[in-house]
Amino acid sequence: MDRLERFYLKRYLKKPKRNLFRFSFVFMILGIMLSVGILSAGLNLFQGYETNLKRLLLDSFAHIGIQSSYRNLITEQQREMVFDRLSQRKEIASITPCLESALMAQKGDKIRAINLRAYDISAGFPYARYISAGEIPLQEKEVILGHYLAEELGLSIGDEITLNYPRLDRITPLGIHASQDKYRIAALYRSGFYESDRSLVISNLSDARALLMIPSGYSKIEIRLQDADKAAAWSKEYINILGPELISIPWNLYAESLLHLVAIEKWLIFIVFSFLVLIAGINVISAVTTMIIDRNTEIAVLKSLGATAGVIKRLFAYRIGIIALLSVILGQALGAIVSWAVEKQSFYRLKGEVYFIDTLTADITFFNLVVVFLVASILIFLCIVLPLKRIERMQVIDILRHKQ
Amino acid sequence: MILSARNLKKTYIDSDQRIEVLKDASLNVEQGDLICITGKSGCGKSTLLHIMGLLDAPDAGKLYLEDQEVTSNSPSAPQIRNQKLGFVFQFHYLIEDLTALENVSLPLMICGESEGKAKSKAQELLSHLGLAQRLNRYPNQLSGGEQQRVSLARALINNPQLVLADEPTGNLDPSHSQEVWNLIKSLNQELNQAFVIVTHDIETAQTADRVYELTDGVLILQ
Repeated sequence: MDRLERFYLKRYLKKPKRNLFRFSFVFMILGIMLSVGILSAGLNLFQGYETNLKRLLLDSFAHIGIQSSYRNLITEQQREMVFDRLSQRKEIASITPCLESALMAQKGDKIRAINLRAYDISAGFPYARYISAGEIPLQEKEVILGHYLAEELGLSIGDEITLNYPRLDRITPLGIHASQDKYRIAALYRSGFYESDRSLVISNLSDARALLMIPSGYSKIEIRLQDADKAAAWSKEYINILGPELISIPWNLYAESLLHLVAIEKWLIFIVFSFLVLIAGINVISAVTTMIIDRNTEIAVLKSLGATAGVIKRLFAYRIGIIALLSVILGQALGAIVSWAVEKQSFYRLKGEVYFIDTLTADITFFNLVVVFLVASILIFLCIVLPLKRIERMQVIDILRHKQ
Repeated sequence: MILSARNLKKTYIDSDQRIEVLKDASLNVEQGDLICITGKSGCGKSTLLHIMGLLDAPDAGKLYLEDQEVTSNSPSAPQIRNQKLGFVFQFHYLIEDLTALENVSLPLMICGESEGKAKSKAQELLSHLGLAQRLNRYPNQLSGGEQQRVSLARALINNPQLVLADEPTGNLDPSHSQEVWNLIKSLNQELNQAFVIVTHDIETAQTADRVYELTDGVLILQ
């Protein structure tokens, strides 16, 4: 930057009202602000969705599930072995044995397929934060019901629900005899992960054992890590530690492809919304062209005084560039406000059965802010630079003769 | 010799008609010369001045500045315009967003002088031209005569070897016109500054050292 450019830049910044804020720039500023605002809000909301989905997936399920290699139940001895070998490890936040089964829930003539998960709730319950109503720990014959499941069956706290376990191997002279019992609803569970909220029933281990007629053993042992992103690596190590009778399954195996898909979708939306900035760039091209026409005398004078076309182009680029940069920043602020408003609004919710979660959340990350800023700035920079090439072709005498 | 124009030719094509505005026009300018070029409107006076100022290229002929051949297309042309030539136009063509002081400082900053030094020199020159009280006025806050004096100061700020003035008083009323003309004459005498002035005012032109008339593309010494 030479001294003339520094002088002009200083002037633009010191006297913005005289040099920068012109009516011809209004539509350019609005165009950039709106397009960058939409781009930012879109990215913030998709980032929020991705982050929220990952958090809910990791909070609703074990980071690593230890199961029997032969699809049997995990015995008490195996459980003790898992605790002995893993409980002191620093990377592990909790180890929770779980009994799990697919059942039917019934209230009157309404029947729903459910997923029963049973824990020793008095020893530590990993989902306590998602209890939206009622109280734990559970008493005998009490269950926690998913929020949407309760809603579908028309149940609330204190109501009774019948759980059926239709065992195909328990045949009597009257046909298949289901194991069933009634339970009082002590609490409701609402994580935001639609599938869990719609199908989960949580009970004490003792009640589940009685219903499922399993005197001992566990379906799996749920391990929660301090850092869920390292689940795949730790899982491999646990296979070696626990021996061939148990297998270790990290969350990545069943959920990572979904998260990848969401991430790809996020960047696709980003690319599509970037075209809005390109469209706003047309306003920038128009504003630069208007400025060149308006100020052709100034260009001619500067050329006659010895300024090169390159210097003159940069003087004009700074003028538009400052306004464009300011518009991009204002657009990002607008995007943050829109994201916040969308998150706070209550009249539109996501369809849980389609999107897995039912709430819109925004996540403003530094990385995304930088990406939006860079992409918008580069696109707008190109829209500034291209029409400025015209200055090279402008002849001083043509302009001055035309003025006379 | 400061500048020598030799056998300049320039032709325009207007509605399929060839108009030969310069036919072998030659002119030499020495240090301290005050030369006026007169002629009818549209006869090619300004074209000649623009060619001499490296703002336009002749169809034929050569231009020498300090015995070096120069052309308007050469990479050094902007630098020559900045450091060796000064321009005064009929309309002042001051930059509207800059004050008088900043307008005059521009040529110095273009050649790399710091803002502080450029403004200091510009202030000195403007004060010498009687504009000390108008330094921070914008062009639209100055009278026609003041605007042209600022324009003259801008042309002189880099101590050019030659000032080319295209109808410098053409847009002024008689009193302001006389004021600017007197200023040019005093600068010519006091500073030995060379001027080539295009004007249609024959009476005023007669007071110059040399007067040329451009008629039908031919430059004739009066």
